Amino acid sequence: MGNVPTKAEQNDPSWRNNNPNSNEAKRTRNRRAVSLVSGAFRGNNGSSQSNVGSHRRRTTKEREQDKEERAKQLVVKYNENVDGGFLAPFGVYGFDKLDYDAKIVKTLIKERKLAPFYTPLQDFDESWTKEEIIKIVDGLPLHSSYEENLEEFDDVPVGNINRRNFDDLIDRTLSKKDQRRQRSQIFRARLYKKRILWQEKEDELFLEKKLASRNPANEPDKFLPSDDLKYDLYKHGSECPICFLYLPGPMNYSVCCQQPICTECFVQIRRAEAHFPHEEIDPTTHAPREEEKDPNLLTSEPASCPYCAIPDFSISYIPPTSRRTGFGGIPSGMFTIKLEPEADTPEEMTPRSRSKSLEGASIITSDTIRPDWELKLNKERARLVRRSTNATAIHISNRLVNSAHMTRRESTQDNHSSNSSRHTPEPTADEIENVMMEEAIRLSLEDSPGDKRQKKRSQTMV
Amino acid sequence: MASLPKRIIKETERLISDPVPGITAEPHEDNLRYFNVTVEGPAGSPYENGIFQLELYLPDDYPMEAPKVRFLTKIYHPNIDRLGRICLDVLKTNWSPALQIRTVLLSVQALLASPNPNDPLANDVAEEWIQNEAGAKATAREWTQKYAKKVEN
Ligand SMILES: [Zn+2]
Ligand SMILES: [Zn+2]
Repeated sequence: MGNVPTKAEQNDPSWRNNNPNSNEAKRTRNRRAVSLVSGAFRGNNGSSQSNVGSHRRRTTKEREQDKEERAKQLVVKYNENVDGGFLAPFGVYGFDKLDYDAKIVKTLIKERKLAPFYTPLQDFDESWTKEEIIKIVDGLPLHSSYEENLEEFDDVPVGNINRRNFDDLIDRTLSKKDQRRQRSQIFRARLYKKRILWQEKEDELFLEKKLASRNPANEPDKFLPSDDLKYDLYKHGSECPICFLYLPGPMNYSVCCQQPICTECFVQIRRAEAHFPHEEIDPTTHAPREEEKDPNLLTSEPASCPYCAIPDFSISYIPPTSRRTGFGGIPSGMFTIKLEPEADTPEEMTPRSRSKSLEGASIITSDTIRPDWELKLNKERARLVRRSTNATAIHISNRLVNSAHMTRRESTQDNHSSNSSRHTPEPTADEIENVMMEEAIRLSLEDSPGDKRQKKRSQTMV
Repeated sequence: MASLPKRIIKETERLISDPVPGITAEPHEDNLRYFNVTVEGPAGSPYENGIFQLELYLPDDYPMEAPKVRFLTKIYHPNIDRLGRICLDVLKTNWSPALQIRTVLLSVQALLASPNPNDPLANDVAEEWIQNEAGAKATAREWTQKYAKKVEN
């Protein structure tokens, strides 16, 4: 954010009244070029930066603490369960890829609007007996095993991770920029280790509770699933078409084409990285370079359905009718299978009956669980605006230097004006403003709705 | 994360037990995310009778990220550049985690059957393809003969 002119600077018209030849005017020339041009951008898309600007800049330590709190939310707790599943992911995908809002997801799971995170099985064999299934389920941990030492953190010191402050690990002889880089790397390495420890701690607790529950002298742990629940969960599971893992049902279903997807895979579906629209280019012309493109053209489309590619991927979920345990239900340990004639045919639904019962079900998208997507896009746009206005400022000052050079040559040929302060070799304020306006107009024209590139974008987005 | 994801194991098993006609994909022994691939040139295309070697790599984030695929055999094609890189939507913006190694390789084969010079990667080839299609196809056939001929082993 360092170079973004403040609101006051952008709106301050006072510089127009300043004496254009004053030193102050010369000193602020560069900044003016920047604010004038970024003002042109703002005029075209006023909303693009308002969010960013109003955000109070948080300190590094506050940001680190937020990240740590977020990571803690992603640890599976055996006593936080819904219908036999959990509120946090098993760990099919890496830590870095868990960027959803954990609080929103937990609430959706508790409200039974999203399938819980289940512990997956690598395979399932139809011939397994109830006893075999129970034995396998009893052996399942809460988390997948993670590599203790990642190669990328090989040479990164982590110090004592129980101590909050790690300032002493930073090499103070480095430049400020390198210190920041080092700090962020150490923070990431420490967080990685912490996450593994948090997970291990929960897995140990889970194991202890399971062992204790085998002793008939102990009070039963109501959070641990009954044998009937273990069987009911896994006997009627299915394979997720994305992770190929075997999971208890029912799964979430895509609204567009009624295909199943497990929650762990669903939370991986996100908008693509912000990008410039893809253009079919005439091979005989040159493609514009990335830095020549208008940041306001930077787009990010909502995720499309992985199965049928329809835009605006959304899912809905119908909770199981055979069990309601954990939050909002009976304790997992008290679940028993009610013996009904069709006990072996679980809640298998035809697409038609499913879409019927979906009426009224809530629809969840990848934006629902990432409400900050727009803020992120605007930050990226703001970053590009900064970069391109810096480039423009350099471009303008180069032109000013060139024209100044021309003036000086002319004036040395013409010997009359050598000691007149009025004939400074520098361009006049009018000239500067003309150059800057030219540049601003050029840039804003590129953004006008009639622009060729805009048309192309709407074509490619169809 | 330490072990190979179930999905990769299952896809590999299915590629071997139920292969795609005209396509082979075998993982390296020392890196099960790296595959040696061969694709037969489609009948009726300038690549007919050619066997093209490719490499396919499954990145850490696969299947959330597309596989990386590259031609090792030299090929004259507007959407494949000198380094063998392929301009194919499903390998980039249109990748979906519901696609698989199998479907990606079928798309590569389809790209050999129908080149798209309006979305080129190799500009010189695309230009030739637009201005002199017959000549470009002749060159493609020539290269297939020269670099992608079936070798008896
Ligand atoms: Zn899945
Ligand atoms: Zn769909």
